[in-house]
Amino acid sequence: MADILDIQGLSKRYGAVQALDQLTIKVPEGSIYGLLGPNGSGKTTTLGIVLDVINASAGTYQWFGQPASQSTKRRIGALLETPNFYPYLTGEENLRITADVKRVDHARIPGVLQTVGLAQRRGDKFKGYSLGMKQRLAIGAALLGDPEVLVLDEPTNGLDPEGIAEVRQLIIDIAAQGKTIILASHLLDEVEKVCTHMAVLRSGKLKAQGPVSSIMAANDLVFISGGASLDQLLQIARTLPFVTDARPVNQQLQLSLQPETDSSELNRAFFSQGIALGQLVVRKKSLESQFLEIIKADSV
Amino acid sequence: MTSLLRIELRKLLPYSTFWVLLVLQCFLLFVFFYARGNVMVNGQMAGAELYQFPKLWMHLAYVSSFLNLIPGILIIILVSDEYAFRTLRQQVIDGFSRANLVQAKYSVILLLAALLAVYVVFLGLGFGLFYGNNTGNETSMFTNVQAIFYYLVQLVGYMSLAMFIAFLVRKTGLAIMLFMAYTLVVERLIQWKTPDGIDQYFPMKSLGALTPNPHAEVEQLILGASEVLTPMQALMPVVLYVTLFCFLSYQLLRSRDL
Repeated sequence: MADILDIQGLSKRYGAVQALDQLTIKVPEGSIYGLLGPNGSGKTTTLGIVLDVINASAGTYQWFGQPASQSTKRRIGALLETPNFYPYLTGEENLRITADVKRVDHARIPGVLQTVGLAQRRGDKFKGYSLGMKQRLAIGAALLGDPEVLVLDEPTNGLDPEGIAEVRQLIIDIAAQGKTIILASHLLDEVEKVCTHMAVLRSGKLKAQGPVSSIMAANDLVFISGGASLDQLLQIARTLPFVTDARPVNQQLQLSLQPETDSSELNRAFFSQGIALGQLVVRKKSLESQFLEIIKADSV
Repeated sequence: MTSLLRIELRKLLPYSTFWVLLVLQCFLLFVFFYARGNVMVNGQMAGAELYQFPKLWMHLAYVSSFLNLIPGILIIILVSDEYAFRTLRQQVIDGFSRANLVQAKYSVILLLAALLAVYVVFLGLGFGLFYGNNTGNETSMFTNVQAIFYYLVQLVGYMSLAMFIAFLVRKTGLAIMLFMAYTLVVERLIQWKTPDGIDQYFPMKSLGALTPNPHAEVEQLILGASEVLTPMQALMPVVLYVTLFCFLSYQLLRSRDL
């Protein structure tokens, strides 16, 4: 599959702050690509640069295998940070301006308003909209050009739980039409629920990237105790080939096993050494703790 | 450019601020020209001489030129609004180039200047026909009407400067203050220390030279002659300044993050 977006060594410096440091990622066609990271990690900066509103300090990027131009922009629908509209115009009048800028037929406007649930309020001024409605209008504007790629920066910001569910469903529906979606979010479960690929950013540095399933491969943690002293257990555990990590934690031994390893195998291994474990607990690693682990794994 | 103007009109026509300032400007133009004609000079209404074709056009252009701040302020508001609403950013995301942003605002400047110039022509015709003692010489009615063309160019110049300042500082209040400070005070201070031969090419002085005071000869007798360009000579520097302001606005947009 071709890459929709190819980012090479992108950096951005604001004075003393390195907002983005040598970011290199590729977004495959047809993927839902999550850009995950805490606030201030460089997600919006990255999207701002590839959307041509922020000048990069270094690095390059290509859309659809070519440098960004007015014609590549019209194949992209994007919502960056906040919904940006004229407050004194109605939702519909605002979309007419968007349509003109994108050179899209106005006939698409009613359908888009319907899709984002604003058909009833299309004649109301933008300044009277709730935060959720503003956000939905922005998503509508992004959809207006029937883009091949949708870039959404925190699209569920300010939405109520129902709105969040709707937007996520909308994203999945749009992706089902074969479109590529690039989604920035600081919400883990949003990325997990929606995305196929992801990149994790922290302080402008890329911490991990790849298909969600491979990054989030749940290496379960196993806690064991009893049958022998902690030191003895530790010594044995370290000799076992399928144990990738072993460390004492709170009078217990915390083990990480290689993927596809069954915990009963562990039990059997200890038993063959003449130790009957008093306790063996398998704990699924939560996505949250994995995320924290990834962003804490500072090489510095 | 026309498609850009169409988009700008979608923003302008429903915007009450635009209409308020436009109506205010038209009203003040009327009042100024009316008031000037009703000043008593030597026990005689100045209007009698003021409202005669073809001299009327020069007077009208000169009087109107005192009211150029309002269109400038309007342009500042329109540009800084785009920053406040972050719509410049959105339009670039949606497919505009930086040059398009400047061209779009420049098209509004041309439109406003044309509208005001047409309005002033009608104002002149109205006053001239109503008050003037037309001696039946209809052919002289539009003689010297080119004074209004120079006024149009002057408007474009003022508004281009306003646009550049708005792109530069991005904040409405600050931009208006800077615009007024430069046009009313700063350049005069610089002119004061600069020889006439050079300062006649300064932006405000070149712009002012487009609509000279019809009583300039009298004034020069009293205040001493100073070198000033004729409207025709001022045209070239002003066109260069307008180009420069547009180019600088473009460079600002290119070099800064939106």
